[in-house]
Amino acid sequence: MDLEIMKSYLPLYRDALLLTLKIGWQGVLLAFLTGLLCAVVLHLRVPLLRGIVQIYIELFRNTPLLVQLFFLYFALPKIGLRLSPGLCGSLGLGLIGGAYMTETIRSGLESIPVIQSESAASLGMNPLQAFRYVILPQAAASSVPGLIANVIFLLKETSVFSTISLMDLMFTAKDLIGMYARTTECLTLLVIFYLIMLLPVSFLGSLVERRMRYAEFGD
Amino acid sequence: MKNITIAKRIGTVVLGLTLAAGLPLNALTVKADAESAGNFRTLDEIKESGTINIGVFSDKSPFGYVDEYGEYQGYDVYFAERIGQDLGVEINYVSTEAASRIEYLETGKVDIILANFTVTEERAEVVDFALPYMNVALGIVSPEDAVIESLDQIGEDDEVIVISGTTAETYLEKNNPEIRLQKYDAYAEAKTAFENGYGAAWANDNTEVIAFAIENEGYVVGIPSLGSQDTIAPAVTKGNESLLNWLNEEIEALGGENFFHQDYEATLLDTYGKDYEDTLVVEGGKVGA
Repeated sequence: MDLEIMKSYLPLYRDALLLTLKIGWQGVLLAFLTGLLCAVVLHLRVPLLRGIVQIYIELFRNTPLLVQLFFLYFALPKIGLRLSPGLCGSLGLGLIGGAYMTETIRSGLESIPVIQSESAASLGMNPLQAFRYVILPQAAASSVPGLIANVIFLLKETSVFSTISLMDLMFTAKDLIGMYARTTECLTLLVIFYLIMLLPVSFLGSLVERRMRYAEFGD
Repeated sequence: MKNITIAKRIGTVVLGLTLAAGLPLNALTVKADAESAGNFRTLDEIKESGTINIGVFSDKSPFGYVDEYGEYQGYDVYFAERIGQDLGVEINYVSTEAASRIEYLETGKVDIILANFTVTEERAEVVDFALPYMNVALGIVSPEDAVIESLDQIGEDDEVIVISGTTAETYLEKNNPEIRLQKYDAYAEAKTAFENGYGAAWANDNTEVIAFAIENEGYVVGIPSLGSQDTIAPAVTKGNESLLNWLNEEIEALGGENFFHQDYEATLLDTYGKDYEDTLVVEGGKVGA
């Protein structure tokens, strides 16, 4: 391994990391908001909307991100809608992530026994108050591990972005290998940079998880 | 109870350490084996196995592509078929992308790369090229309502589409680093993106952009020849001398029967017409002959 060469590649990998993080986090945020909204719709059994959310979840959970990106980037322009590669990336992540987040949050909500809503109602709370003050805080605690897993999953999914010309970490490595054939150096850097991106998320995840458990059990 | 849990934990830790210590050792031994044996199959080994693995493009018409019946076709494939015939072995086509051509040779996934591989100094350091069978230069195609005829016309906000791992990419990175590139993995994707209006122009082998402009209305090859004239040749894994020598003899011998002109007429005539035959074809491995 040639350390000098690895050093000369560092700025390119740094740019790729920043791009991956930027698009990744936009996607994660979008995914979380979509997920929360859809989970509430499912939980409160809102008529009509519930059906739409179900279709959305099945559609996006059962097609690969790559296919969704192809659709956003290569098919939409045919009907006159041309989105930038960055927007396609965030949108793609947000949509597939939203479907996963919905299921995670929904299962969290469902884990709260019905008696809790009933007790809240008997205390004079309306369904929305019961949801906001009784159900959601408890559900959030039990959803956290799943949510963190989703975040890591989404950040890793950025590795298919090369299809839509985004220079993410994976594509940067492949591109450099194609040009200069320094395979070992490029792949080593790739692993290091993925770890730089994801290890903190993992650690943060376990930290938050412990705090949330504390909130749940109180000891 | 507590003791059992602790014992279990210690067991896990020990197991983990053993694995962690063992893995790099294994990796080293594997690597050493690969180096001593060479990561390729010799001519005799290929003949003995009865199959040769040839890396070709599956999406670069008319050089290497898969037709509507699922068969590999094109100028490169026509030559590959002949190699299989003369070696007396079956051909296993391996579809490759521009950026993975070197990888496939280095890891021994294919015996020969016949995927429109332009000979360059950098590549010659890591793979062995046989004699050339085609000429190529770079070209740039752009929409006819905004034709780009010189590189100065490319604005600061314009992006030029290139395919990762091609000579067009390396050339522009090296000689015109100020030009913003929009990179794609594969031909099919770059082509669709360009058709969809992403990117001001598309830089690639001139054979490719000329074919694109002929097949698609509304596009002009504003820069038909950029950089130096290069050649295209088969490549084998670095150090695979027996296969390299056989290929060179084969290419020289095929010159006697004007094989690559036949190849051109069978595969490229429809796209390029008669005009480009002598420009593109290299016969018997001799450039300019």
